[in-house]
Amino acid sequence: MAETLLDIAMMHSDSLLLRARQGDKNAQGKLVQLWYKRIYNFAFKFFQDHDLAMEVAQKTFISMCRNLEGLQDTGRFKSWLYTIAVNYCREELRKKKSNKSVPFEFVVNPEAENSPRWEGSAMRHENPEQQFQQAELSEILQQALMTLSEEQREVVIMKEFEGLKFREIAEVLNISENTAKSRMYYGLDGLKRILEQRNITKDTVHYEL
Amino acid sequence: MSYKPNEAAWMAYLYGEMEGEERERMELYLAENANARLELENMKALQHMLRTVEDKEVIAPPIVVDNHKTRSLWDFPYAKTIISIAASLLLIMVVGRLTSTTVSSDDSGIRISFGAKETIPPVTNTPMLTQAEVQEMINASLSDNNNTWQQSLAENRQKIDESIRKNLAVNTRNSERVDALVQQVASASKDQIAAYVASIQTENMRMMQDYMKLTSTEQKDYMENLLVDFSKYLQQQRNDDLRLLQTKITDVEQNSNLFKAETEQILTSLINNSGTNFQKAGIRN
Repeated sequence: MAETLLDIAMMHSDSLLLRARQGDKNAQGKLVQLWYKRIYNFAFKFFQDHDLAMEVAQKTFISMCRNLEGLQDTGRFKSWLYTIAVNYCREELRKKKSNKSVPFEFVVNPEAENSPRWEGSAMRHENPEQQFQQAELSEILQQALMTLSEEQREVVIMKEFEGLKFREIAEVLNISENTAKSRMYYGLDGLKRILEQRNITKDTVHYEL
Repeated sequence: MSYKPNEAAWMAYLYGEMEGEERERMELYLAENANARLELENMKALQHMLRTVEDKEVIAPPIVVDNHKTRSLWDFPYAKTIISIAASLLLIMVVGRLTSTTVSSDDSGIRISFGAKETIPPVTNTPMLTQAEVQEMINASLSDNNNTWQQSLAENRQKIDESIRKNLAVNTRNSERVDALVQQVASASKDQIAAYVASIQTENMRMMQDYMKLTSTEQKDYMENLLVDFSKYLQQQRNDDLRLLQTKITDVEQNSNLFKAETEQILTSLINNSGTNFQKAGIRN
């Protein structure tokens, strides 16, 4: 995965962190700008729900700003931030499980009514059919992610989409590195089985794309 | 070779987080094992597919945080629990005070009571009666009881005797009445029964006659209707047969006319052909 300017900025944000820890509002705002998309996407992939993802991201950054001065080791900022996000995700999931009502968005399903996703994607200039198939595959993969257990889903998203190392995932989830790897293995295995059930393998995808 | 990677090793190798000797062992294992290579390929293909899931674009909203950390007592951990317990105890004490609750324990058990304690006045013991006095009281009571009982027994016996006498008198009168009625019935029954039977017979005969008359008229009507319907049916049948015959005859006529016309046509064409043949023969000759 190619590193964007944002990724580079995220990796070299030590001085920003130091200033933010000292209560610099500007530095805190920049940290939020740098990390908001990552935390939002982590939560979105976890819930497949924009509102819940926004809720989690906002709570995470409010908590970050309040508790940043307590962070001793700035090198652990990334795993610390994801720990907060994971805790809020679990809290929202508990609320969601206790509240069995179906949100209106699921009933209306606005995405089904709107035009396909590829229209809004960055690579619109490419082959539209290929783009459509990619969007379809992406949709299936996201649905498949939701079928994984909560524990496996957390690890798969953090490893595959957020690019955390197994050491960092273990730190975030407060588990051993081997447990994190094991959850990842079974998570991938689960995804593979679901895709195979839908006849999506490396051969069919290669042929289609 | 005994090395077989576990799930953790697979993941570490797949994501490039395996180094040194373990990595070499894994690579050797892959080199020697085609199935393992295929499994690795499948995992890489899945990774490739997962990369098609793009991030959603989102604009970070402004995060406003109040840094003045004036933590109230309520925000401290366990504060809520401790205050809740204290409040509950206070409430119990207030309620206990208002209702004058007392909890006491003695040899018979624990006792919880509400309100002021009721004092029971001591029972004053009357002086005891002697055995002779008690015996005398019992004897007096028994003799009173016996007198009352004998009096009521005599009254009851008298009442029963009177009632029996009355019943006997009524029964005698009733039996006399029944005997008179039986005699009356026995003397009057023969003539009355004969008259009754004769009237029933006449009535039955009349009814039978009426019925026969009625049924014979109905049967007659029915037979007439039946004959009329049958003759109509026969007439209809005959008409249909005649119509069919006429149609058939017309068909035969048409066919014969057609046949005649065809025969004429054939004959004409034959005559024409023979005429031309003769002419051709004449020309040749």
